[in-house]
Amino acid sequence: MEEKEITVNVKKYNEKDGVFWKSYRVKADRYTQMTEVLRRIKTEQDPSLSYRASCHMAVCGSCSMKINGIPSLACKTMAFKVMDEKGEINLESMDYYTEVRDLIPDVDTFYDRMYKVMPRLYADEEVIEGKEEQRMLPEEQKEVWKFQGCIYCGLCVSACPSVKADEKFLGPAAHAKGYRYIADDRDTKKEERIDMLMDSAWRCTSCYMCYEVCPQDVQPVIAIKKTRSHLDDYRGPETDVITMARKHDNAILELINDTGKIKESSLYLKTFGFGEAIKDSINMLKSGKIKYAFTKDNNVKNINEIKKIMGDKK
Amino acid sequence: MKVAYYPGCASHGIAKDVDIATQLVAKDLDLELMEVDDWNCCGGGFMDDKSEEIHTALNLRNLEKVKTMGFEKMSTPCSVCLNSHRIASDKYEKDPELRENVDRRLKNADMEYDGSVDSEHFIWTLIRDVGIDKIKKHVKKPLKGIKMGTYYGCQLLRPYEVMGFESPYNPKSVMDLVAATGAEPVAFPLKSSCCGFPLVGINPPVGLKMANNILSDAKNNGAEMLVHPCSLCHLQLDVTQLKIQNQFKQDWTLPVLYVTQLLGLSFGYTPEELGLGKIAKDYLRERGFV
Amino acid sequence: MEKKEYDAVILGGGLAGLMAANIVASAGFSVAVVSKVFPTRSHSAAAEGGIAAYIKGNSDPNDDPDFMSYDEVKGGDYLVDQDAAELLSAKSGEIVHILDAWGAPFNRQPDGRIALRYFGGQTYPRTRFVADKTGMALLHTLFEHATGFKNIDFYNEYYVLDIVKEGKDVNGLVAMEMKTMDPVYLKSRALLIAAGGLGMLYKHTTNSYINTGDGYGIALRSGVALKDPEFVQFHPTGLYPSDILISEAARAEGGILKNNKGERFMARYAPHKFDLAPRDIVSRSMTIEIREGRGFKGGYLGLDLTHLGKEYIMERLSLAYDAAKTFSGVDATEEMIPVRPAQHYFMGGIDVDITGSNHDLNGIFAAGEAACVSVHGANRLGSNSLLETLVYGRETGDSMVNFLKSHKNVESNSNVDDIVNTAYLYIKRESGEHFGTLLNELRDIMWENVGIFRDKKKLEEAVGKISDLRKRSVNMYVTDKSSNYNTEVFNAFETRNMLDVALAVSSAALNRKETRGAHYRDDYPNRDDDNWMKHTVAYLGDSEIKISYKPVNFTRWKPEPRVY
Repeated sequence: MEEKEITVNVKKYNEKDGVFWKSYRVKADRYTQMTEVLRRIKTEQDPSLSYRASCHMAVCGSCSMKINGIPSLACKTMAFKVMDEKGEINLESMDYYTEVRDLIPDVDTFYDRMYKVMPRLYADEEVIEGKEEQRMLPEEQKEVWKFQGCIYCGLCVSACPSVKADEKFLGPAAHAKGYRYIADDRDTKKEERIDMLMDSAWRCTSCYMCYEVCPQDVQPVIAIKKTRSHLDDYRGPETDVITMARKHDNAILELINDTGKIKESSLYLKTFGFGEAIKDSINMLKSGKIKYAFTKDNNVKNINEIKKIMGDKK
Repeated sequence: MKVAYYPGCASHGIAKDVDIATQLVAKDLDLELMEVDDWNCCGGGFMDDKSEEIHTALNLRNLEKVKTMGFEKMSTPCSVCLNSHRIASDKYEKDPELRENVDRRLKNADMEYDGSVDSEHFIWTLIRDVGIDKIKKHVKKPLKGIKMGTYYGCQLLRPYEVMGFESPYNPKSVMDLVAATGAEPVAFPLKSSCCGFPLVGINPPVGLKMANNILSDAKNNGAEMLVHPCSLCHLQLDVTQLKIQNQFKQDWTLPVLYVTQLLGLSFGYTPEELGLGKIAKDYLRERGFV
Repeated sequence: MEKKEYDAVILGGGLAGLMAANIVASAGFSVAVVSKVFPTRSHSAAAEGGIAAYIKGNSDPNDDPDFMSYDEVKGGDYLVDQDAAELLSAKSGEIVHILDAWGAPFNRQPDGRIALRYFGGQTYPRTRFVADKTGMALLHTLFEHATGFKNIDFYNEYYVLDIVKEGKDVNGLVAMEMKTMDPVYLKSRALLIAAGGLGMLYKHTTNSYINTGDGYGIALRSGVALKDPEFVQFHPTGLYPSDILISEAARAEGGILKNNKGERFMARYAPHKFDLAPRDIVSRSMTIEIREGRGFKGGYLGLDLTHLGKEYIMERLSLAYDAAKTFSGVDATEEMIPVRPAQHYFMGGIDVDITGSNHDLNGIFAAGEAACVSVHGANRLGSNSLLETLVYGRETGDSMVNFLKSHKNVESNSNVDDIVNTAYLYIKRESGEHFGTLLNELRDIMWENVGIFRDKKKLEEAVGKISDLRKRSVNMYVTDKSSNYNTEVFNAFETRNMLDVALAVSSAALNRKETRGAHYRDDYPNRDDDNWMKHTVAYLGDSEIKISYKPVNFTRWKPEPRVY
């Protein structure tokens, strides 16, 4: 097998020296995983290099880090695939989490988010006592398993813009976990879960970052969308976000149903009310952007097609 | 070359200037934009929260119209519309159960769809079908010396397995187009982070904060102006910029252009013809480009 | 030093430890679970294929628990304690129901009942599974269930140094928080060692980096015996060249091993069971094929799935597909997966009885791969490790509850300071031996000399070299003196544990002059029931392993030739 010397630049950190970069030359071949590269550096060159790694097969979620700026699992990343034309690779600790040592951040905040969503099944008493057998259809198992696939690697939270901007957002992984139990008919706390997750679900921007970085293809953003689809079942407190989500949702649905299109200005009025609209109009006037504010497009001509397609919600 | 064109609600509404600039630039580049017959809202970023079935069916209705018009693909200036149609097509292809239900809804409206139509972003049309070289040939007024923040946002790039045009982490399309106009592309860390628009109708404080983050990050990395690829980013970063900057007590503004507005400027159109707002116009005047 | 008191301390946050934690906590006792990793990083997560279980009303109509026990006994080459095997089979259905009630998303049959498939060495199909990530699914289920208890505290990323004793009584353990390097004394009346296996002793292993035999090392140093440490399993299908496990599920679902002539060579070695013969037999056959020149260049064979069809592979064997694709660049729907045997499991372990209790110390228990209950004997069958962790995790949890009900607290801190001071020596020392050097040498020796084929010469050499490494390790030092996640120090502690258990493995292998299950001696190629139908019991002396024996428990099955 053809070996090649590569250069690995690691952003190191410790309390005493702060942040500094260190480079290592390592021999690798096309089968060498980044966890193996790190192991070689640690056992042969720099024993002080600190990182997390366990299963080296992408099921334990330990070796999360940024590789060339991309949130990745080191074990799932082959050195030759990511080195640049000069044979260089950059490794950094994940974003968002507090740095503690080299490639090891403090991810407690990730775990805390998971614990918040009651991440465990509450089965029927009869089942727990062993009096009754649980059944589960294969389709349902498939749906549950999809979102149960989360390996607690923390990459999605590290990359999520809403997590950084909004402390009330539970984050992608916790939502995948939370929805996994909503989707599980063996669980007896579905209503409680919907109430617990709904406000946070509307704090996601649907930017698909979590979908992109997830090494297990869990697609947390899809779990969030599926949770939102239970808005009508929500019985919890009417938070600002919930109230606006309802208004905004109903306004859009009504517009699409009636006209086949979204008329931003009508939507705006319906969601925010007249007072807020006036304030914003003044800003738009100032920036010379008011002239298109009342542009109105044609409705869909064959609106019956739209109505028939929309039919009942499912 | 004829192109099926899906303008999307925003560019036929408050972001009308996106449509105006796109039409002008297309004409120069010999692209004849054929608006999709009787198109409907894609419900992007919204309808799939309500019902995957309805969302998919609504998007496929548009694609069916494109097919009836005799095209194999359609092009849209809006990243959210793009994302919405591509995700709908992807689900329709991969999920047989959903497909069955969507077909039923379409049939209900006397429609049938064979899954054959592709949807792409107008940027992709520019790069793939027109080509950067041809675009360069149309540049009459290069924007030399202007440091242009290149912003991609989220929906154009992700998820990669559905969008597929360029790396979701190291995208180049906007940079290449900016470079073609003679301006200097400026990359910045939040280039593919969300602008916060989806939250504006639901959780406005955070939505605005995200917009401010994008603007500030571009500015802090040396951008004088910002270019982006999406009708809804346009609403957020351009149309409501003063609201954002008031909210965060910023004493600066950052002129924001939709990507075809930038191309239009370099092709020699005036800011007025391209529907630019006051912030951009003032800045271009200050820098002597007008 | 900080001191915290619990009724029970559990070392290890994998399936066995968490199962016991759930049991002990639900009896109302306070529990500390101590692990050097966050529990979902435990090696249990890496188990792929499934968990064997006889479920009444949901098994092959011809199957019954006796067939299952028989399969275990025969699979383990009659070194199995038959009462332990019978208990394992008898409780297998219950345990799957418990996991199902706690939320494990087992694959289902069309009518909603739990699905099943064949695995190596099974007379009837019994393996229950969650795609091919069964271990991960069960581990998450147990961990998340455990986080619902207020009386379980998790000490995640705490490295356990040694056991605290007062005479013959266990009195907890001393651990070090990896984030701060602060030691903590976790005092308890009952201590469960469920720290998993030792794959990192070998140069080629399917195991996680964290499988460094910590539980065995700690036990040996406290005067606790290991049972049958010579029995190390080599899995036939480690992915070439990274040694990532390709689950036995691949063969269970119809995958076929082929040599460079395209032959299904297992037909020659196991004319009835073919590729689904027990692992020791398949691994040896593969090694012979490679040795005799019928392997592919680089030393591997092919695992052919292509005839199964893309859809089936994606649904049932997605992890195998992904692993081959990601780590070897092979599309398993179109080409053969390159495989070779790699260390996979340790049948030996801390000497415990059928209740999970060890009798060298009072209050010490072991479960899972860390323990040797003797259900696997000389070779473990696929799908039985998950089963063992759960059944015996539960049994041991029950024993701990009984123990706690009848045993009072013993007050003392006797060897607490010694433990910490010894550990700090590595940091204080400014020169000496480095863990990396010792470790790389050790892993080579174990792979070359204490591997699939063994003989007197190789084993004598191994014992000698390992003894030398142990001497050198007394002077281990670390270059890193910092006090946050000083992983170099922990690697040094791990190396100490690995050297101690390596001495036990190699010494016991040298001592057992027969071939049985996974222990294959070129110089004694036959099973010798007259002299060796007995368990090895190994204690650590000053510089050598002291070996004694224990009888094998028979209930109903007499030894027979092992033909598949």
